[in-house]
Amino acid sequence: MRAAIAACLGAAALAAGCGADRHADPPPGSTRVATLVDGDGDGVLERGPGEPLRDRSELGGGGRPIATLATFAQITDAHVRDEESPARVPFLDRLGGAFSPVFRPQEALTAQVLAAAVRSLNRLHPQAVAVTGDLADNAQANELDAARTVLTGGSVHPDSGAAGYAGVQETDNPDPFYYRPDNDPPRHPGLLDAAQRAFDAPGLETPWYPVLGNHDLLAQGEAPPTPAIQAVATGHRLVESLDPGVRPNAHTNAEAAVAAVLASRLPERTRTVPSDPARHLLSPAETLRRLGRRGRDGGRLDYTFDIGASVRGIVLDVVDRAGGERGLVTRAQVDWLRAELRRAGRRYVVVLSHQPLTRSEGGEAALSALDAAPRVVAAIAGHRHRNSITPRRSGPYWLVETASLVDFPQQARFFRLVRTAGGGVALDTWMVDHDGAGLAAVSRELAYLDAQGGRPRGFAGRPEDRDARLWLPPPST
Amino acid sequence: MSRRRRLAAAGIAAASIVVGTAATVGYGLATGFDRAARKADLPDVVAHFDAERRSALDARVRALPNLASRSYRREIGGVRLIDERGHFLRRGTIHIVLGGRRGYAITSGHDLSRRPGEVVIERGLAQQWRLRPGDPLTLEGFGDLHVAGIALSPDNVAFPLARTARVYVGVQEVRDAFDVRGEIRPDIALLWLRDPTRADITLAQARVTSFGIGSLSFVTREGVRVLLSEAAGIVISLLVAFSLVALLAAGTMLAAGAHADVQRRLGAIGVQRALGFKPGAIAARHAREAALVALPAASSGIAVGALAVAGPSSSLLGALNEQPPGAALALPLLTGLAAVVALVTVAATWPAWRAARRAPAAILRGGDLARPRRQAPRGRSARGGLLALGARFSLASRGRWLASVLTIAVSAGVVILMLALASLLVRLRDDPGTVGKRYELTTRLDRSLLPDVQGLPGVRAAAPRYQLSAADSFRLGQPVRLIGYPGDHTRFEAPPLASGRRLHAADEAEVGVGLADALGLRPGSTLAVQASGGEEIRFRVAGVVRALENRGRVAYVRDTPLLAADPRLAPTLAIRLTAGADRAEVVAGLTALGAPPARVGGATTSNAQFLGILAAVLRGVGLAIGLVCLYALVQALAITARERRGAVAVLRASGGDQTTVALVLAGAALAVAGPAALAAVVLERAALGPLVGSFAAGFASLKLVPTPAQVLLVVAGLIALAAAATTLVARRVMREPIVVGLREE
Repeated sequence: MRAAIAACLGAAALAAGCGADRHADPPPGSTRVATLVDGDGDGVLERGPGEPLRDRSELGGGGRPIATLATFAQITDAHVRDEESPARVPFLDRLGGAFSPVFRPQEALTAQVLAAAVRSLNRLHPQAVAVTGDLADNAQANELDAARTVLTGGSVHPDSGAAGYAGVQETDNPDPFYYRPDNDPPRHPGLLDAAQRAFDAPGLETPWYPVLGNHDLLAQGEAPPTPAIQAVATGHRLVESLDPGVRPNAHTNAEAAVAAVLASRLPERTRTVPSDPARHLLSPAETLRRLGRRGRDGGRLDYTFDIGASVRGIVLDVVDRAGGERGLVTRAQVDWLRAELRRAGRRYVVVLSHQPLTRSEGGEAALSALDAAPRVVAAIAGHRHRNSITPRRSGPYWLVETASLVDFPQQARFFRLVRTAGGGVALDTWMVDHDGAGLAAVSRELAYLDAQGGRPRGFAGRPEDRDARLWLPPPST
Repeated sequence: MSRRRRLAAAGIAAASIVVGTAATVGYGLATGFDRAARKADLPDVVAHFDAERRSALDARVRALPNLASRSYRREIGGVRLIDERGHFLRRGTIHIVLGGRRGYAITSGHDLSRRPGEVVIERGLAQQWRLRPGDPLTLEGFGDLHVAGIALSPDNVAFPLARTARVYVGVQEVRDAFDVRGEIRPDIALLWLRDPTRADITLAQARVTSFGIGSLSFVTREGVRVLLSEAAGIVISLLVAFSLVALLAAGTMLAAGAHADVQRRLGAIGVQRALGFKPGAIAARHAREAALVALPAASSGIAVGALAVAGPSSSLLGALNEQPPGAALALPLLTGLAAVVALVTVAATWPAWRAARRAPAAILRGGDLARPRRQAPRGRSARGGLLALGARFSLASRGRWLASVLTIAVSAGVVILMLALASLLVRLRDDPGTVGKRYELTTRLDRSLLPDVQGLPGVRAAAPRYQLSAADSFRLGQPVRLIGYPGDHTRFEAPPLASGRRLHAADEAEVGVGLADALGLRPGSTLAVQASGGEEIRFRVAGVVRALENRGRVAYVRDTPLLAADPRLAPTLAIRLTAGADRAEVVAGLTALGAPPARVGGATTSNAQFLGILAAVLRGVGLAIGLVCLYALVQALAITARERRGAVAVLRASGGDQTTVALVLAGAALAVAGPAALAAVVLERAALGPLVGSFAAGFASLKLVPTPAQVLLVVAGLIALAAAATTLVARRVMREPIVVGLREE
């Protein structure tokens, strides 16, 4: 009885309550309280009931949650975009397939969506926030600066070039494949001008930890910056479309196509736009410097951080500097990872990368290293813009992938690691809708309607990929 | 029942016939499409495109927002159909049903099953060729099949109003007939939406994900409604509007008749008041009596009216591939009945109530609601003869005279409108001006001879018309037809604006709705097209117009950008004729100039059967209106004769025979009919014509102007009706003993 009371008191310190039910109480602002649903399928999102935590017991474990060990959140794939940049290839979007993310109807609103997610997370008071890559969309300095300001707080200036919008979504663009808010349904007259206006962002009220993604370092997430691409980015020649005679298809190599387009090796239709030196693409070193971080061994952003006394985060930088969207884990990184896992001692470990390790070259070696570490709770990633939770039985631990802020469902993810009465732990996780204030609501509407976006592609995942209690057995040592 | 009551009942019945016909025609046409669309489960969007692999297509389609379900078809046109009675059609259209929701309703027989040799045919073909389920039908290439079922699908008008007849076959039938092993690629997608009011959003997404799909075009359910209106030649809008006007006429007449009846009974009301009856009780009794007369009369009238036009109305709906209302018609008819009875009752009760509230002595003094009758100036009574005397009798009660004139004016106005409508139908068939094109002839001629053409008698204007076929700049496969004139194109072609404004500059364009839908254009956006030489031309969209040409994939522009793109572009000469011009003379003049012209066709059907159906509908409604006019005249004369009983008796006592009496009554009748005829013409020109035209203005600018002959016809008809009314009333007056009238005097 004394032990139970003691456990209860311990839990109360973090969970403001006592008993197992208290740990299941949905915090305000999360999708456990309410979320947005399209109940009648008419394309309009409405407030719907919250989603319960689904028990995921594929890895065993169980027992009554008795104490919260740590809380943290994940923001991923915000893709804060300079949608006016000449160093983009939105006209390839119509090809679908690998090209489909290069234009989004809501692309002028990415900074506002990130700010809306920050506000939502602030209400949940996590101990830390991991930003798992693709914070910027095109590795541009102005994109990273805007995103960083949103996260740290301050006045955000989304506009680039001359004042006001100049890009493919202008009303007088005759190309019917672009969403032109003044022209096409759902009409939002004045949206583009509103999107360019500066706004104040509150910034995260808790420490945040960046993870590099391919879009943070590569042009369009595919091609390493070259002088030719830099010249396009900081120039005044905007490619609106390829010549109609050029017909790449969805099977065309995306990296090669992006490089060819940005190097002006294809016949194109162009227009003149105001240039802006702030659009230059950052080198990996510059990116690290702007993030206030130092690279490890070859400039990779591998590092660790603690979330309270019981949990350690290990960040892996798996961006292939040579180009391409697929991740790369080097042998040296695996060695470093093993060492960090050992150093974590009795702390529980979460591993964070942009590309999922399962989809990275060399990722299996890294996963094997995790398999050998008894207190790994989860390997958490973004990149695919899709919610997914799968058990790694050889660990055991969980492989968690989280949806993006740029595509529907535009959600962040919250984690709470709880100790259970059986001696194990459970990782509670649930999605967090951004607050939808101002232009962020329009962005979510457009993202939902997008026929190439997250709705038809099932990025929200199954209910058990979203809000779930991920049980883990007691660690073997 | 007294003669007066019988007369009142006849009037109510006549008016109710109008109500019955108007309700039947109006309700049927106003709701026919929606009823048929519901029954057929018509899709909210139908997309046509070049045949595509189904899996690739479906991946795009199922990604659309607001989508409830989808199905696909493959269309094969120009197939010969032959039945065993020797009917033959060269232009059959086969729809290969590739599963899923059908988008048509089986009205007889059954749908396609897996049994071999089955074909489902559209209802129009079944009716025209008298085919029934089980009958054999030969399809070119498919061999002998048998009709499994008859289908209704209101996404087009029915054969033969539509030039092609549609039949549906299953996939297996095609495989068997043509030994097709691979996939049958669809070229039609039927889409059902969760919320059809958000179809524009679904279409926008369909457009942005359609890259690589050729010749894509969309037709929404609302668009089908417009297409049907176009194909039916605007008749639907006009008849619905006409029904409303007819109801107005009936209401006016009923109110006036009831008012006059109470005036006739003022004496009785005075006596009742003198005997102590309260005004409320007197009014209630009037209401009861009026309702008892009105109910059977209105019921029978409405029933007769409905039955008279039920057949033609049903045929009309069938020709439009729409669905007759059936039992649902009961509601508007019962509503009409209730309205007529209520109108009669209120009209009869209100004057009775007003009269009964006054002192009995004031009522018994007589007159029109105690308004002192003005004395005619001395010496005038003798002038003008018997006709003038009758006219003075009629004019003595100004209120009643006005009501009678109004009633007949509205009725006659409607008849004039109907005649103008008939003329319009002919014009729609022959005259392109009614559907947006204002030129009647075209020819190819050297531009230097343009002044000679403009100088020809009967030519109002002539201008070169440039036409350039172009592709949209984004390889959507949308063939765009650019039409350019040197100046204001609306002098020659003025399809109605759906949104925006007319073009004012060389870099502006008015685009057809079809093109706007396909390319996401609206006023203010940019149209980019590629001429055959590869040069891109851009236009700012000034307006979107309801053009029929090239399925609306047309843009009206100035000629300069077209000539800049292709300096060798040769124009045709568009020639607009003056009103009443002798076309043959103009043709001869052009031929003499070495440029024999071509005639520009209209937009509606020349199908004789369809026009016959329309004529039957119009005849039914016209008959009812004629009865209203006759009743109004008879009633006006009967009341006049009743009021002037004493004077008429004096005339008869002084030796006047039936002719004398008839002349007096004819004067009274003409005093009503003459001004009514004049007012009818004014009413039609100033109010009814523009009103009805405005109902159809969504499609075209219509001018419902009657010809002088039509006006004369209506005036003659009114005179004939006045003569008939005079004869009827004169006979009645002559049957009454002279002494009865003298006693009153």
